[in-house]
This record gives sequence, structure tokens and C-alpha cells, in this order.
Amino acid sequence: MTATHETGDLSHVVEVRGGKGRRSDKRGQWWRFLLILPIAAVALVPVGVVFLLAFTPSAASNTTGLTMENFSNVFANTDVLLWLQNSLLVTVGTVLVCVAVAAPAGYVLSRGRSRAVATYSLMLFVFQSLPVITAVIPLFLIFANIGLVDSLLGLTIVYVGSSMAVAIWMMAAYMDSIPISLEEAAWIDGASLFRGFWQVVLRNSLPGILSTAIFTFLVAWNDYLVAIVFLRSDVAFTLPLGLQSFFQQNTTDWGAVMAVAVIAMIPPVALFVFLNKYFSVGGIGGSLAGQ
Amino acid sequence: MLVMPSIVLLLLIHLFPLFKAFLDSLHTGSLIDSGEFVGFQNYIDNLTSPTFWKAARFTLVFTLVGVFGSWAVGLALALLLRTRIPGGGLIKVLLLLPWVVPIVVSSTAINWLVATSSSPIPVLFEKVGLGQPLFLADPTWAAIVVCVFKVWVSFPFMMMMSSAALSGVDQGVYEAARMDGATSMQQLRWVTLPMIARSTYISWILMTIFCVNDFPTIFLLTGGGPIDATNSLVVLAYRTVFQNQQVGPGVSIAFMMTVVLVVLSTVLYRQIRRAAH
Amino acid sequence: MNSLPARTRGASRRDVLKGTGLAAAFVLVPGLATSCAKSKSESGSGSLKFWDMPWAVESYNTASEALVEAYKPASGLPAAKLQRIQWNNFSTTFASALASKTGPAVSSGAGFQAFQFAEQGYIAMADNLISDWEKDGFLNDFITGTVDALKTSEGYVGVPWQSDVRTWWYRKSLFDDAGATIPTTWDELMTAGELLKEKGYFGFGNGAGAGNNIGAQSLVMMMINNGGGLFDPDGELDLLNERNVETIDFVLELVKAGISDPAAVSYTTDNHLGQWKNKKFAFGIHTPALDDNIADSSGDLLIASPLAGPHGDKATLAYVNNIMMYTNTPSQEGSEAFVDYYIRGMKTYWQTSVISALPVLQSIVDMPEFQKSGNKVKAVKEYLPIAKTYAARSSEVFPAIAQVDGSQPLAQFTQTVLGGQTDAKSALTTLQQGLSAIVTS
Repeated sequence: MTATHETGDLSHVVEVRGGKGRRSDKRGQWWRFLLILPIAAVALVPVGVVFLLAFTPSAASNTTGLTMENFSNVFANTDVLLWLQNSLLVTVGTVLVCVAVAAPAGYVLSRGRSRAVATYSLMLFVFQSLPVITAVIPLFLIFANIGLVDSLLGLTIVYVGSSMAVAIWMMAAYMDSIPISLEEAAWIDGASLFRGFWQVVLRNSLPGILSTAIFTFLVAWNDYLVAIVFLRSDVAFTLPLGLQSFFQQNTTDWGAVMAVAVIAMIPPVALFVFLNKYFSVGGIGGSLAGQ
Repeated sequence: MLVMPSIVLLLLIHLFPLFKAFLDSLHTGSLIDSGEFVGFQNYIDNLTSPTFWKAARFTLVFTLVGVFGSWAVGLALALLLRTRIPGGGLIKVLLLLPWVVPIVVSSTAINWLVATSSSPIPVLFEKVGLGQPLFLADPTWAAIVVCVFKVWVSFPFMMMMSSAALSGVDQGVYEAARMDGATSMQQLRWVTLPMIARSTYISWILMTIFCVNDFPTIFLLTGGGPIDATNSLVVLAYRTVFQNQQVGPGVSIAFMMTVVLVVLSTVLYRQIRRAAH
Repeated sequence: MNSLPARTRGASRRDVLKGTGLAAAFVLVPGLATSCAKSKSESGSGSLKFWDMPWAVESYNTASEALVEAYKPASGLPAAKLQRIQWNNFSTTFASALASKTGPAVSSGAGFQAFQFAEQGYIAMADNLISDWEKDGFLNDFITGTVDALKTSEGYVGVPWQSDVRTWWYRKSLFDDAGATIPTTWDELMTAGELLKEKGYFGFGNGAGAGNNIGAQSLVMMMINNGGGLFDPDGELDLLNERNVETIDFVLELVKAGISDPAAVSYTTDNHLGQWKNKKFAFGIHTPALDDNIADSSGDLLIASPLAGPHGDKATLAYVNNIMMYTNTPSQEGSEAFVDYYIRGMKTYWQTSVISALPVLQSIVDMPEFQKSGNKVKAVKEYLPIAKTYAARSSEVFPAIAQVDGSQPLAQFTQTVLGGQTDAKSALTTLQQGLSAIVTS
């Protein structure tokens, strides 16, 4: 029973699903389209507001109607490109390290049955559950002592640590769906544990890795609670901090804020579009392909 | 072995703060002053304070609505998008945007939509004859708006998880069900849902943790108001630490939250692992 | 079964290396990062770190950078380097910096933070500087009361550089439209409010939503106006004294009569400013910078003279924003020299109109550039003399003030009162209980 189930599983993991009945399909398509359109429209209203405000001139300017002037203002007078660069550096660094460290750890969590692994899993829950605001000042103190305050590297380390637990979980959950018979086959052939992990499981975990990558990317990209405590110098600002810099004593330049927000949305969206190709039909993310 | 790098990192980032935070919760210090040792007094004070329990109740409501609301919407959208739709690829990416927009920006957008009597949505309500609810000033409405906002921010994540799980479901089973005369609803209930059960439970656990710990979504929109109507436990903890400058009581709230979350998650997770075998 | 087999020897060596490698990287690379970080931040060791907040719009930031850059220290004294600190989570930024000894030597900041930091020994008192100024007469240039507002029993915790008061504002066109007269007492405010209400305008414009402290400050201001306040002359919390009860009764009447906007409970700063801009608010309390904030120089938006309370008292709430010096400095003499330079040089902010706050130096007030702003001149003339801090009824300032400013009980109190579903005594009792739990000294 188990054996057939598991081999069946494997084909799901790698194949692209497709091929349905023909006749009701065309009508079904349009019906679903009409259903999803209003839902998407309502869901996108707030996003629409962001774009609207980005193209609306701010209180201090004299132009009326929609204009690109917030964008030109932002590019000319602020360090938005520097912020973009810093954000990319930190976020890409976080994603790479996090995935590299979480994948093997997730493997152990998925396959391990010992007491040690259960304790490890409990530890993960505890660490994930403590709200970040309580950890921020103690962390700052440690990092100040080793000179990693006000540095992008220090920030990256904190981000990696913060998203690690969930990343390990997501990896473990995905790997749960890959049957161990594959590794067993590899071990019988003389491969080591690590080999089994590397060549068999990892190779088949691409959707899981990509989901974890996306999740970690967004956590690091949009964080400002940690960044605002750890970063001081203007040259180190990431995009969320750059956004905060428009919040002055009593007023806020909303046009500029929204323009920067629109700019900040471009890399993640580009990432989604790019990664969309690598996932099976039906959506982005394959981390928890069912049993 | 394979887990060592992760252990090193996790311990480095989490152990000292956890320890220091626990120490802080036993004192009455402020941000710059360690204060005196009071043992578990902070915990007792919190557990006997009506504000704490009001916040606990709201956290429960917020989490339930957040988790199940976003799951329902996310699943529905994932089911709809599972098949080919004209423009499906574009719609998929667009539907991920609520997750991508920085919270400080999306909360401003929501505020722009509902805050004053001349904002678009109150004006719409009035035109349609539903009166002019004070969306952010009335305690009940504010709670509704905050919960809806949370669902809005979270459904893309759930949609992503559901999509992934659905993509692994064997289409052959549907053929069999259809041949047995099962309707779409029955297929959903008896075929689809059970097959994605494990992933569903895990996404519920993750979203529960995200909702309970979610500070910016509520704080940026209402600051915990009006009159503490939308104070969740983490917002209460933040305000106690940073607005009242009482680190001890605030951190003790955070600890209690952590304990509850850990117990809850561990119990649920064991259920899942058991179900898998 | 998904369990690990017993044989792991070959793999584990590889993995231990891998694990140690990664761990080592995280230890070695910080070394590199430190040198990179250092080269990005302070240019020379021993230069004075000056932390300043974003007090106005971008032009202020540029002007302050220029002013600091132009500082040429006497030989042997350190130069100054400016760091802009965001308002968001600023208390965490300062607290973590002080705790880890990476804080500034001089800074501006929140109105009362110097008192709290001084209690913990982080502040270097400004007595030296003040006595120098007394000797050469510069002290006379400070508007009466501003320097003393910073005096504690241990000394002066800082030197004033600008002040922020709460003033009454009105929009003339709306009053004309409603046929109402500008009030000079609280009773007249009620009458005018009712006339304004008939035209759909609000005579008690306010805001108490996320991030908006004006609401709470306005209620405290009114209590002080009426001779009450949060504390009694000895510095103890005294919310339930009869002047406070009278004040809140009055505010509740305004709320019940619809003179206060029911949605004000949730107004953020932007919503609040929006209502002024959209000509919905006809009268209300705000900072002297209101006309600048909404870019309204039409002359329609004006500061009203202070209102007399039911017993004839006139008073308002003020924040004397100050420059403070810290004990963690490369040179105390250097700090004082810099502060001296900065205070004497700050008039350039008002000369170039990059700042909206009120000056504390009479010489700046007398400058033609400042005199051009009718509203601010009126604020200086009529409000500063009657301005009091949170310690209204006492002659001394104390750290408890810092603890109540911006606190949760005060915010809750404001929202309760503006929501109108309460009576004065219960609201004040709740506030008293809430604040007692917080105030430790």
C-alpha cells in the first residue's frame, strides 16, 4: 500500500499537471474568469489607491491632475537607488544563506525520529514564537559589542536568524512528501547520507526551495522594525527606512512615499513573474505538495 | 551535522534575547534603567488586568478571522486559478500584490479609503443608503476593518500554499469521483480537501503564529484604539514597553504569548505528524 | 519509514567541516564588516556625534547639515558630525545606543527625554554653559521661562533651542459664513460652536488616532488652561481635582453637542490636517505650524488669542525642545563649545524659514524674517508667556512628565472622552489609575 502511494507521489512532484475534459472547459473558463474578476478588482482597490496617490502631486506642489513628478522628484532628490541597492544586497544575502542553511536542517527535521530531533523541533517553535520587538534591544547590545551595528551584514544575520525557523519548517514539510525509498535506493548503491540528501532530495525540492526563497525574500524586503534599530547611517538605509525618512515632524510627503512604495514593489513582482515558470501549473509554490 | 549551521545561527540570534527578555520580565525597569527585581509580580499584574484579557479576546478574534478568512479566500482563489483562465498568469501575480506592498503604505491606503466622512467608502455607503459608519472611530467597526485588513494582507500567502498543495493532487482521483456521480461540491469536500489536509494544517499553524505576533498591521492602522478596541496582545506589549516605558510588564505579556503559541503549535504539529502515518 | 539510518560516519565529517566553515565565516566576516562599517560612519575617531531629528521638511535637514558642517572648532577640540535619527521608534534607538555606549555626545530629541536620561546618569548637565552665558549676557536673550523649564534639582538638563506650544486656531471664512464671533472664553466657544455646527463645521477640531498625540495634548492643555493639570504642586498625580473635572465636563458637552467631530477619535495626523485643509474644522487646538503643514498662506487660517477658562485663567501646554549633552563624549569642553556655536548659529533656520517651530531667543523673534509670520509672532507674544509644561502647577520639573507624555492611559483617556460615552469623573479616575501604574518617581 505504502509503496504504490509513494511512487505515485513522486510523479506528481516532477510532472506538470494538465489535461482536462474538453467540452465544458471553454465555458468553465469564462465562468471562472467572470467570477474571479470582481474578487480581484475588490482585492486590488487598496493597491490601486497606492498607485493613485503615487501619481497625484503632493500638497506642496502646484501641478494638478496625474503626474510623474513624484517619481522624478524621488529619483532626483533622494537616495532611492541606494536604498534599492542596499535592500537587494541584504535580501538576496538573506535568502541565499537562509535557504542554504534551512535545506539540510529541514531534511533532518523531516527524516529524523530521535529525541534530539524532537527537541530541535520544539526549539524552533519557541524561537519562532517570540515577537521580534522584545528581541530587538538585546540583539542590538550583542551586535554593538561585536561591531556589527549600522552594517548591512549585521542586518542580514538578524534576518537570517529570524526567518530561519519558518524556512526550516517549510523545507521539512515539503521534503515530507518525497518518499524515502528514493534515498534508500541511493544508499543501497553506496551513497553517503549527504549524497542522498544532495542528489536525491534536493534535486526534487525545487518548488519547496523556491517557496521558501519567496517567503524569506518578502520578510527581509519589507522589514522596518529591526532595520530602524540596527541601521543609522543614511548610506546603509534599506527601502523601508528610506520610506520612513519622509515622515517628518508634523507632515508627510505622501506623494514621495507612494512613489518609493511603487518602486519597492517592482523587484518582488519581477521575482514572482520570473519564478512563475518554474512552478507547476496552478500557482506559485510547491512547498507543501500534498501527500 | 547537517543542522549545525542552523543551530549556531538560531542560538546566536535567539538565545540571548530570550534570556534577557525573561530577566526583564522579572524586573520593573524602563528602556534605560533595569529597575528592581519583583519576581513574578508583572505576570500576576497582567493576568489580573482587564486590559490584558480584553486584548487576549481580541487576539483570539483577530487570529480566528485572520487564519480562516485568509484560508477560505486563498483556497477559493487557488481553486479558481487551478484551471486555465484567460489572463490567469497576470491575475495570479496581481493577486500577490497585497502581500508585497509595505504595510505602512497599505495601511495608509486603507486609512485614505475609510477614515473621514469625505473618504470614498463612507461616501459610497451613504449613497447606497447604509448610513455613515465611523469605520475607524467606532470600536466595533474598527475591529471589523482591522480583521478585514489582515485577511487582505494574508490571503496571497494562503493562496500560494493552497496552490502548491493542489498542484500535487492526482487528477485521476477526480475522474473516478466524477464517474461515481459526485458533484463539484462533493468532490471538493471529499476528495480535494482531505488530500491537501496536511498542508492545510501547517498553513493554519503558520498563519496563527503570524496573526498572534502581527504588530504593524494593527498598530499602523488604529494604534490599538479606539479605546483599546483593537488592542491585540502584541500591540499591548509594544505600547506597554515603548509608550508607557514599562519594560517588565510588556515583556511578560510577550512571554505568555510565546508559551501559549508554543504549546498550541506543538500539540497541533503532533496531530499532523500522527495523521501522516 | 522516514528515519535516519545508523551509518553517518563518512557524511558527518564532511558536514562538520561544512558547518564549521559556515560558522567560521560568520565570525571572520564581521571583522571585515566592522572595518567597512566604520569607514562608512564616523570619519575621525574623537569627533562629536550630534544626533538631530527631522524637525521639519527636507530643507531643514539640509540646513542643519550645513550648519554642523560649518563648525570650525578651536584647536584641540573635536569637530562635529551630524546623524539624522528618525522619529519612528526613536526611544528604542536612543535607549539601545545609550546602553551599548554607542550614543551621541550631543543631541536634540523629545521634549522630556533629557529628564529621564539624566535620572540614569547619562546626561552631562549644562550648568557650566548656562553660567558662561549669564556672564556674557547671552542668557538674557532667552525668552523668560524657557531656560528654567529645564532646571531640575541636579542642574540644567539641557539648553532650549525651540519651543512648541498648543494654540487655538480658527478659519475666518467659516466663522463669517456661520455668522459666529471668534471666542475669547470657553462659554463663547460653546456658543460659536453651535452656530458653526448649523453650517456643518466643527468648532472643536481634534484628532486622537494612531500616531496622533494632538488630541491628548489638547485635553491636557485645557486642564492646564483651567488651572488644573495632571500633577499637583508637589508633583503627585492629581487628576480628580475639581478644575480637571470641570474641564472634562465641558469637553464632553462639546462632544455631545456635536461640536467635536465624532470621527476625530480615529484621526491620524494626516486625517486631522486634512480636515483643516478641507475647511471642515473651524476652530481647534494645534501646533503653531498648522498653516505651514497644510501649506495655507491665504491668511484665512489664523491663531486666536488664548481663551480664558471659566475662572478667568489663561494658560497653555508647552514643550521646550532642548539640546542635551551626554556623559559619553570625547570631550565635555568640546561638547559645550559645539552647543554654544549651535545655539548662536541656529537663527539661520528662521532666517531661511526652514523651520516652523517657535524660537526661544528674543533676537530671533525680533528678526524681520520671523516677524513676517503673523501667526507665529502672535504665538510667541500671547502664548509663550502663559505656557506651562506638564508640571503646570509646580515650579520644578520632574522626570514623571516624560513618562506620561505619549503614554497609553492618556491616549485611552482622550479616545474615551472624544467618544463621548462617559462622564468626567469615571474617565479621570481611570486615567489616574492608569498613570499611577506607570509613574514610578
